[in-house]
Amino acid sequence: MAQISEIAGSGSGRELELYFGPQHLGMVGNFSITLKVEGDRVLKATANPGYLHRGFEKLMEYRTWIQNFPMVCRINVVEPDSMEMVYAMAVEKLAGIEVPERAQYIRSICLELARVSSHLFGLWAYSNMLGFDTPAQWAMYHRDLVLDLFEELTGGRVYHIYLWPGGVRRDFPKGFRDRIVHTLHSIGGWVPDYDATFFNNRLFYERARGVGQLSQEQAKALGATGPVLRATGMKFDIRKVEPYAAYDKVDWEVPTRQEGDAYSRIWVVRDELIESVHMVFKLLDAMPDGEVYNRIPNPFKWRIPPGEAYVRCESSRGELGLYLVSNGGDKPYRVHFRTPSYPHGLTILEKALEGASIADVGNTMISLYVVAPEIDR
Amino acid sequence: MIASLRTGLEATFKGVEVTDREDGMMFVLAPGESIPAVLRYLREHGLDHLALVSCVDWIEEGELEVVYLLTCYMRNNTDYGPEQRRHVLLRTKLPRESAELDSVIGIFENAEPHEREIHELYGVHFEGHPRLIPLFLERGYEIPPFRKDFDTRQYVEKTFGAIPPVED
Repeated sequence: MAQISEIAGSGSGRELELYFGPQHLGMVGNFSITLKVEGDRVLKATANPGYLHRGFEKLMEYRTWIQNFPMVCRINVVEPDSMEMVYAMAVEKLAGIEVPERAQYIRSICLELARVSSHLFGLWAYSNMLGFDTPAQWAMYHRDLVLDLFEELTGGRVYHIYLWPGGVRRDFPKGFRDRIVHTLHSIGGWVPDYDATFFNNRLFYERARGVGQLSQEQAKALGATGPVLRATGMKFDIRKVEPYAAYDKVDWEVPTRQEGDAYSRIWVVRDELIESVHMVFKLLDAMPDGEVYNRIPNPFKWRIPPGEAYVRCESSRGELGLYLVSNGGDKPYRVHFRTPSYPHGLTILEKALEGASIADVGNTMISLYVVAPEIDR
Repeated sequence: MIASLRTGLEATFKGVEVTDREDGMMFVLAPGESIPAVLRYLREHGLDHLALVSCVDWIEEGELEVVYLLTCYMRNNTDYGPEQRRHVLLRTKLPRESAELDSVIGIFENAEPHEREIHELYGVHFEGHPRLIPLFLERGYEIPPFRKDFDTRQYVEKTFGAIPPVED
């Protein structure tokens, strides 16, 4: 139940404070917003994170470099692979480890599969919130097919701990390539149905057009990245501008839209999903044979020379960065994740909700692609 | 361009030390009072994306290091050349007992939650911040919990240790 308390005025002009909390039906995730409303118009929104603050960054200072892997992936439940990737990249940079070429391709394929599963999850959340139950259930089912692939590859459905300093933990199993192709073909075959029921649906257009609209100047000033920024027309994608793994080895396009509202953000997500599927096919074709793993020193005695690094990669939500400091010990001295939902869920959400209607609060939040555990860490 | 940024910074501000690294990262060490001015200068020279504000507790030196990480967005929505492909790490060192800095929300609006977080977890006071209230935590802490002298295990034992184990 939402809690309401009167704060000023009387009759229909009175101001109320509405607690739009994690139990509220319009809210997805452990997150809450305090809304100051008049009628059904939001005057001011205050984001309250902290429901999932587990202090991972502090806990990681007590554990060795390798022991931290089961922890980093839990920071973003929906897309753990990019978390592992960014941590592995930072450790490799500090320790000066090279990664074999085949492993770079496998990393890219894993990250794109993770992006597909994360975008499908996002589609589930968004279409479900708008009341499109059918495409939401399809998206959930198709995400599960991708998780089946991960289960075969890594043993885990949600958390994989597969990307590793020096490469990946093991090579693809026999026949795995064909199963990736088969799964992605069967998901791709549903795109016309998704379009007919959801993306080209007049109701989606009416509900999402103009909601949470941001100009490109606003998006830049507030630190937006990922689909939120690309929906305002900028072709900014870290996979393209500062390529890592094997993203510079194949041709692919960065989808953008111009309007900067919820409608264009969700369309960017749809186009990216299709682009990712194509990219996996291209990566599979171009993948060389060879080693997938460069040996690292004994993890129990592994000391990394003093230094600091900022590395970043493009997660499905935007720029995911890691500032990692080593003082020459067997554990990190300081770990700080720059997660894309942090500016999206705090600064941009508060700005975008000013003047919105109460019915659009959940709409705005999910279209900004906020995932709460990423904010809290 | 990177070389000119370096000479420009050294010529404009007193007490600023600039070092370059081979991987394109530039480290700028500035005294606390000139942080807003240096940030504004960097922003005017193309570094328009404040990616992260962080803090490191160097307990042996008795210093808290506040770190601002700046990168570039694209020019004209499509251009991203070597000029944009640079990361600047601006840092300042503050005494642990009286860590105070001016807020930079006027320059980068998205610094607001970052400064709140650093105030809550490291105890750095940001002068001019409109709502320096806790971001994540509910309980009060004697020392800010992300500082190195805060012992997580000891805290957990003290706070939750009195709860008897569940018997079957």
